[in-house]
Amino acid sequence: MESLAAALQLAAELPALAAELAEIVGADGVVARPSELAVYECDGWTIAKSAPDLLVLPRTTAHVSGVLAALERRGVAFVPRGAGTGLSGGCLPLNAPVMVCTSRMNHIVACDLANRRIEVESGVVNLNVTNAVKAAGYFYAPDPSSQVACTIGGNIAENSGGPHTLKYGVTTNHVLGVELVLAGGEVVELGGPADERLGYDLLGAVVGAEGTAGIVTRATLRLLREPQAHRTMLGIFADVERATAAVTAIIAAGIIPGAIEMMDALIIRAVEAAFKVGFPADAGAVLIVEIDGLEVGLSERAERIARIATEAGAVEVKLARDEAERALLWKARKRAFGAVGRLAPNYATQDGVVPRTRLPDILRVISMLSRHYKLAIGNVFHAGDGNIHPIVLYDERDPDQVRRAIEVGREILKACVEMGGSLTGEHGIGVEKQHEMPLLFAPEDLIVMSELRRVFDPNGHANPGKIIPQPGGCVEVAAPRRQAPL
Amino acid sequence: MSDVQADKIENAIRGLLGAEHVREPRGRETLAARIIAEPRDSDEVAALVHQCEAGRITLAPLGAARTLSEIRRAPAMLGVSLARMDRIVAYEPEDMTVIAEAGMTLGALNQRLAEHGQRLALDPCNPGATTLGALIGASHAGPLRLSEGTPRDLLIGVRFVGHEGRAVHGGGRVVKNVAGYDLMKVMTGSFGTLGIITEAAFKLLPIPKGYTMGIAPFARAADAFGAALKLHDVLPLVHVEVLSPALAARFRYSGAFLLMAAVAGSASELEYQRGHFGGLDGAVFSDGARAIETYERLRDLEFAPAAVAAQLATAPAELARCVEGLGAEFRAHAACGVAQVFVGGELEPIKTRETLARWRSAAHAAHGHLRVLAAAPALRSDLDFFDAPPAGALKLMRRLKAAFDPTGVFNPGCFVGGL
Repeated sequence: MESLAAALQLAAELPALAAELAEIVGADGVVARPSELAVYECDGWTIAKSAPDLLVLPRTTAHVSGVLAALERRGVAFVPRGAGTGLSGGCLPLNAPVMVCTSRMNHIVACDLANRRIEVESGVVNLNVTNAVKAAGYFYAPDPSSQVACTIGGNIAENSGGPHTLKYGVTTNHVLGVELVLAGGEVVELGGPADERLGYDLLGAVVGAEGTAGIVTRATLRLLREPQAHRTMLGIFADVERATAAVTAIIAAGIIPGAIEMMDALIIRAVEAAFKVGFPADAGAVLIVEIDGLEVGLSERAERIARIATEAGAVEVKLARDEAERALLWKARKRAFGAVGRLAPNYATQDGVVPRTRLPDILRVISMLSRHYKLAIGNVFHAGDGNIHPIVLYDERDPDQVRRAIEVGREILKACVEMGGSLTGEHGIGVEKQHEMPLLFAPEDLIVMSELRRVFDPNGHANPGKIIPQPGGCVEVAAPRRQAPL
Repeated sequence: MSDVQADKIENAIRGLLGAEHVREPRGRETLAARIIAEPRDSDEVAALVHQCEAGRITLAPLGAARTLSEIRRAPAMLGVSLARMDRIVAYEPEDMTVIAEAGMTLGALNQRLAEHGQRLALDPCNPGATTLGALIGASHAGPLRLSEGTPRDLLIGVRFVGHEGRAVHGGGRVVKNVAGYDLMKVMTGSFGTLGIITEAAFKLLPIPKGYTMGIAPFARAADAFGAALKLHDVLPLVHVEVLSPALAARFRYSGAFLLMAAVAGSASELEYQRGHFGGLDGAVFSDGARAIETYERLRDLEFAPAAVAAQLATAPAELARCVEGLGAEFRAHAACGVAQVFVGGELEPIKTRETLARWRSAAHAAHGHLRVLAAAPALRSDLDFFDAPPAGALKLMRRLKAAFDPTGVFNPGCFVGGL
């Protein structure tokens, strides 16, 4: 019962620790009252909950460094948190009594348009980066659906994506440098304003490390020039098969749109009820296709896409007539998750990936699993890159529904991996998918990944219990498995 | 190492792979390795790694030996050539991804992909002699990096053989994937110091339909860079390069700095974009096959034989000022902040060191860094091929090397901080 003894010792130490941390960040930067800490008991993955014993809200890199040094002296682990919009339990405290939340580090440090770079503190909200440079004609490409709330630090931890990553890439393609505070408090600079790495690409390892490398306090981001013009189209289909066929046909024609998003019938109804977008009630699937570039070529390309979609079986293809119509379509897409809240007391958003050509197969599997487990599942996802987001509806008051919701999620992921895909395209492994990691990775892969993690955090104090399956969990790291194809 | 020991090792390796797959180095390979082994699969690579770790024999993935032959101080004991591992493992054109063995050359791969109108959009010098392993290991990129990125942007899965002969994989074959730590980034640009890359999966892109190149000469470098950045500001350029006079001469321009910018798209898009070049005096345009031929010469520009050649990376807007003051010939990826600079002919060792020191401080002043691409063998013993990363980062890099290569056999002594 070593962990119990440790827990008891920590409980005794907590008041002294809280006082020590308050000296570093100020009294208003430490939260210890359980009623206030309850807010931090989960992120967007609500199936498991666990509040931290202490919450720290630093304002500067020096604060973060001081806090992590103090924690290391006592051998206390921590969990970093941005806005808590993650969807895999990445900032769920697991044997990490102290949560360090970067939300007060929300300043834009320097904007360098000549170099198309912006330096921000990690607590800056994603959308605020684009807002800061929009008037000058620039934007920050990664645009997760939660972009009105999620932070750049959280995006870096999860290597977040969004609809427009089909053309523009994910977070890792847009982060040029970070200031990282290691467990123990040492501050290191990785990367920089130049677009070449010097030595090993440690920056690339930190992006997507889900907070296990330390706490990112600042980041230098790449800005892109806003395209001259957009065309946003809505394709309406009788069923998802025809819609996915259209996706494949568009890309096979050599067109890489900015985004291709799909919603199925269940989501269409929920979104229509919430936002009155004008989706036909009987549509089986809709596609939102957005292209961007030079004004001069766009209409021609939009017509080609409309033709291809029609040939693939679209009932109708409509062009957004103005910015207001475009904004409404994107609002419907990005808030689809929220709209689903009307249909059931709870929902779990899954995140898996299949090769794009296997989309029809995975959707068939999902529909079969939905019937088998007697749970409604909606699909709203990034069709262009095969990144699915089945939304499983359930009621957390019924333990059997919770059990089925978890199981059906696992079955979907298994099917993704069997089709040559992945466990997660943009939400991360976190707590949620650790036990599925052996489906994708051999023991030796996981050993090497653990070694990589220890390079940054030899004592395992930065966000413990994430990504790599824990011994004693449902699945042992050493479980035998077949060699997965790349 | 004595000849007797070397013979013993060679015999052991012959025993592993069969005598016909172990050979003497040829040409520039002699600068890279003393013995060359040609394993046929990952298992044989693992057997080689076991042998090397047990005997503390240094080994280096060889590629075409170009990069290594230009920067190694002394040859590695064993060069691992993946010439026999050159197959496409899986290619589904509609998914626009490919998995190939690391011994395949980029040129051969792109020839196959072109049948489906696709490409791996990375364009180092001489793709026909650049293996995928070398492409990743040295993080090679060319003019296309402006529009399509570098290996780190397009590598979606990797398999390598590391310590204890472990075959390790990261990523996968889908374009969007955040499962597990990003081993692709760790291996990209690691110069064979962490293991031998055996297989790689890439994201592919369609080959653009129309391609127009505009070339314009300038009397002053600053003006050429100024025009390059101005075009970059208003057009989605495929690439924009600035060449110094010695390289411009290879395109039959004398005494001029050359701007070489390209645009792609439909006929109407090409026409519109050409209009933006209008203000440039003496701009000449080419389309189609002729433009592609010019582009290929631009891509394949060789800086050898150079007394010393280096690559500078700076904040993009600071590149012009940085290279202008160097007194060296250069090719600049003008909007990316990356340039290859070189001094031709022969240079005394002391002058070489002085030159490099000057280039280095110019790169640092422009918030960037430098790495040596090539130096004459006699000059190498006391040159730092890489800048030193900041202390904190270097400490982590040392830990990474120690974790992945605890016996220190993977291509030691060529990389940052003596790693």
